Amino acid sequence: MVGKSVDLKTFSAKDGLWVAFVVILAILPLIPAFSSNSFRLHVMILILLYASMAQAWNIIGGYCGQVSFGHSVFFGIGAYGAGMAVVTYGATPWPGIIVGMIMAAIVAVIISYPCFKLSGHYFAIATFAIVEIFNRGFLVWDWVGGALGLDYPIIKEGLVNLMWHQSKTGYYYSALVIFVIIFGTVRWLEGHRFGYYMRAVREGQETAESLGVNSAAVKLTAMALSAAMAALCGAFFAQYNLRVDPPMVMSLDTSMKFVLITILGGAGTMLGPLLGASVLIPLQEYTRAFWGGLGGGVDLIIFGVLIILMVVKQPDGMIGLIRDVGKWASNKRAEERN
Amino acid sequence: MSFRMSKGAFWATLAVFLVGVFCFGPGMGQTLAQEKVIKIGTLFPLTGPVATAGQRCQAAVQTAVEIINNKHPELKVPLADQEGILDGYKIVLVHADSQGKPDVGKAEAERLFNQEGVWALIGSYNSSVSKPASLVAERMKRIFMCGASSSAALTQRDMNFFFRLAPTDETESVEFVETLKWLNQKKKANIETIGLIYENSEFGKHAAGEAKKAASAAGLKVVADVPFSPGATNLNSEVQTLKNANPDAVLGALLGADYSLWIRTMKQMAWAPKIAISYCSGYQDPVIAKQLGPDADFFMGSTAYSPQFNVLMPAVGDVEKIFKTKTGGVPFDGDSIQEAVAMLVLAQAIQKAGVLDAEKVAETLHANTWDSPLSLGGKVAFAKGGQNSKAHSVVTQLQGGEYKRIFPEEMADTEIVFPIKPWNQR
Amino acid sequence: METFLQVLIDGILSGMVYALVAAGLCLIWGVMDVINFAHGEYLMVAMYVSYWLGFLVNVDPLVSTIAAGVFIFGLGALTYKLIIRFTIGKPGLVALLATFGLAVFLKNLCMNQFSPNFRILSDTWLGGKTFHIGGIILAVPQLMAAVLALVVVVLLYLLINNTRFGWAVQATAMDRDAAELVGINTERIYILVFGIGGACVGIAGGIMPSYLAVHPEVGSMFGLIAFVCVAMGGFGSIPGAFLSGILVGVVEALAGFYIAPVFKYVAVFGLYLAVVFLRPKGIFGW
Repeated sequence: MVGKSVDLKTFSAKDGLWVAFVVILAILPLIPAFSSNSFRLHVMILILLYASMAQAWNIIGGYCGQVSFGHSVFFGIGAYGAGMAVVTYGATPWPGIIVGMIMAAIVAVIISYPCFKLSGHYFAIATFAIVEIFNRGFLVWDWVGGALGLDYPIIKEGLVNLMWHQSKTGYYYSALVIFVIIFGTVRWLEGHRFGYYMRAVREGQETAESLGVNSAAVKLTAMALSAAMAALCGAFFAQYNLRVDPPMVMSLDTSMKFVLITILGGAGTMLGPLLGASVLIPLQEYTRAFWGGLGGGVDLIIFGVLIILMVVKQPDGMIGLIRDVGKWASNKRAEERN
Repeated sequence: MSFRMSKGAFWATLAVFLVGVFCFGPGMGQTLAQEKVIKIGTLFPLTGPVATAGQRCQAAVQTAVEIINNKHPELKVPLADQEGILDGYKIVLVHADSQGKPDVGKAEAERLFNQEGVWALIGSYNSSVSKPASLVAERMKRIFMCGASSSAALTQRDMNFFFRLAPTDETESVEFVETLKWLNQKKKANIETIGLIYENSEFGKHAAGEAKKAASAAGLKVVADVPFSPGATNLNSEVQTLKNANPDAVLGALLGADYSLWIRTMKQMAWAPKIAISYCSGYQDPVIAKQLGPDADFFMGSTAYSPQFNVLMPAVGDVEKIFKTKTGGVPFDGDSIQEAVAMLVLAQAIQKAGVLDAEKVAETLHANTWDSPLSLGGKVAFAKGGQNSKAHSVVTQLQGGEYKRIFPEEMADTEIVFPIKPWNQR
Repeated sequence: METFLQVLIDGILSGMVYALVAAGLCLIWGVMDVINFAHGEYLMVAMYVSYWLGFLVNVDPLVSTIAAGVFIFGLGALTYKLIIRFTIGKPGLVALLATFGLAVFLKNLCMNQFSPNFRILSDTWLGGKTFHIGGIILAVPQLMAAVLALVVVVLLYLLINNTRFGWAVQATAMDRDAAELVGINTERIYILVFGIGGACVGIAGGIMPSYLAVHPEVGSMFGLIAFVCVAMGGFGSIPGAFLSGILVGVVEALAGFYIAPVFKYVAVFGLYLAVVFLRPKGIFGW
């Protein structure tokens, strides 16, 4: 499926589409069908949030080819940054968000430096192990609230506290801003020299090195960037739920979400995370809303089966599905012409 | 894999997004044909590690609703002899699953209020879920009835629409220490040291914190402080640590499977303290005595209800019959019965207030003392912040598979077996 | 000293069981390069098989462990036929995603069918029996599980290294196309490998109800530990997985006792990191 070949450094038709997309998203809450139904708005917020999380992961996991299961650590650090700023220090979350992002990037570099010497599954499992270590560590670390977690007090709503009580519209636009920041960054990376370096490292570290790419530096930079973005999402998650504790943010479950959504949508593509989140999150939320109350985990049984089905039918992810449909459509058009 | 985006792919993505959000929209609060209906939401962990407890709590609320909605003249429970409340209003339950996760619980609470249009919420077992979920209710000025969450912090938030029935871990800790002091006086038990074993979660950590406070106030020394990860594959090092410190008394906060693993590991290591008292959950699970058999004997814990309390709470027996049809024969335990009480007290308050106005009903709840034959002590009253000031529990001991009341003395029905019999002499 | 020996022996015993769980995962992983995320859930299902056999027809776990092994062999083969087959040759994470879905499915199906209640088999042959050597207490069920683990792992090792079938498996693991060319039915090998991998964890799960309560969440932690063991031992190396299983058990026990119980899993995961930082391909990796 061949798109228009355009000069990626300039504003392209493709970017025009993205802008249109974001504008549509921005208008959505103004339509009563969306705004009057807060659950629908909740699902939209989660889609934007998880798409952003997955895109953050996509930087290192998709474009750079380093499959990390450790992103819930960075997500958690971001959440704790915002949470501690509000709960422990009684400030606004903003300085906490910044500190959280920086901390996440620093931690990412420190733990990734030795891990990047590992290849393939050894790396993946090392990141697994790191999540578990952080999880248990935070559970007993009293300064961050330990197992009790941090509970937000009821304080004034608004942008200053990044907290809204009455309606979710504020949260929605915040999520949209995060979405734009992260997708924008990745879009910029795609066209930038650094983006090519990342893909070169993914395709083959030795080859990349022989072409003069410092693969270690590229991977570390990508990881730091990815971690900071994940932390940003984590901070939003804390503000949205008004509570932080280790199992909520720093767990393998959370890590799996990063990976699942990206792979489901299509790793290493810009649309993939959005597609994955648009499918998986409504699936998760609506199956729960419909069947969760029955008890007995019927919703999760269906959720599990659907994941299996989707993966088995379309191992390249949703993006592959769309590509196939596109191929089918253009073939059809070609047939008609003949 | 680099994929140039085409217009088609774009619009397809947007379509997926919109279809995802829009098409599956859950019933926007389906209006029932029947007009006179009060919708009440339940929010319990129906899946995940504590699903057992969550499903029982849900069944308890259903039991209470059955009593309220139908005529049950044979039951000696308020509202049983009439159909519905407020001249014919029936209660309809809308169930939701919190999965034991705070974020899911909060989202479901919002959905229940906004989409399903419930009038009040009952939930949510885990203290960590009750906290954010009740905040949702408080901001919307809706009532949140909390049966079994035990964290004392919940009712220290000065909320107006939050009511909790169960005794807090603070009261329980004090009661445990009182029991130990009583043993020292009466039995010359000579208990000086305490060991703590608790799951490292909101529940366990909070209970342990309160236990330490109460112990140090009474001059007891904590010699072993053993948090563990719930769902562990074994508790060998935990029990070994306790065994080495060899405290006179152990206070435990363990749930279901962890509790049984703890008991069995102690047996395997041929060690037991002189006395072990547990916070409600794991110990008072009605299946424990059956599953562990004689191994469960002589351990103690706080209990708000057990079928052996019939003498104190004669009204429960018949109610329990309804409950058992929903749980496959498992009787009430101290947690689930609190959820039934929560539902009943809420219905009584609505009846008394006479209007479906959350603020009025909340005021009524605060202002009165409620008859509650399903509660130990028979009364319920709420202090500021929503704590049930009449919440009682008794310290019991398992003897021959039955919960025997030991302390306080005026409630006791059996002499304590002290110290715990060594494993090889059972 | 006595305490130290006690802790050490407890660690070795639980380590042997980890080793058996890991051996099954190791085989699948080594041959097919597939991460089976549902491995812990296989264990859970096996425990249920053994529990129900014990509860309904009064078969002791010691016997029904064979049935559990056979059952999980079937479940593994079925998993391959219905799911894994479609993910071979696709990007590595696809299989992981599919088995993650399978794990969610199995866990909740069991919860739905058997309720989340935990269940204990009382009155098993071995249940609660101990014997004493000096001041050291040995729990018979755990000891039996460890012996069984040792036997099965040795058999597995012999099967892979000393039989024609085993050579075919090794050939398939090295190069599927080449193996196909020399007349090996690699599809059948894959099915059998997935089945045998499942059978190992099935046997481990089958004997566990004699000392561990059965509930739908019981497998998760075992699954996680198995991942660590396999990677620590080095991919596809059964002796490696066995050794690191025992190592994990010992480190868990020692750290749990001498540092703090909350840190026992921290120590296990820390150990993995330490090992792979020193030997990036695991202990027996090449």
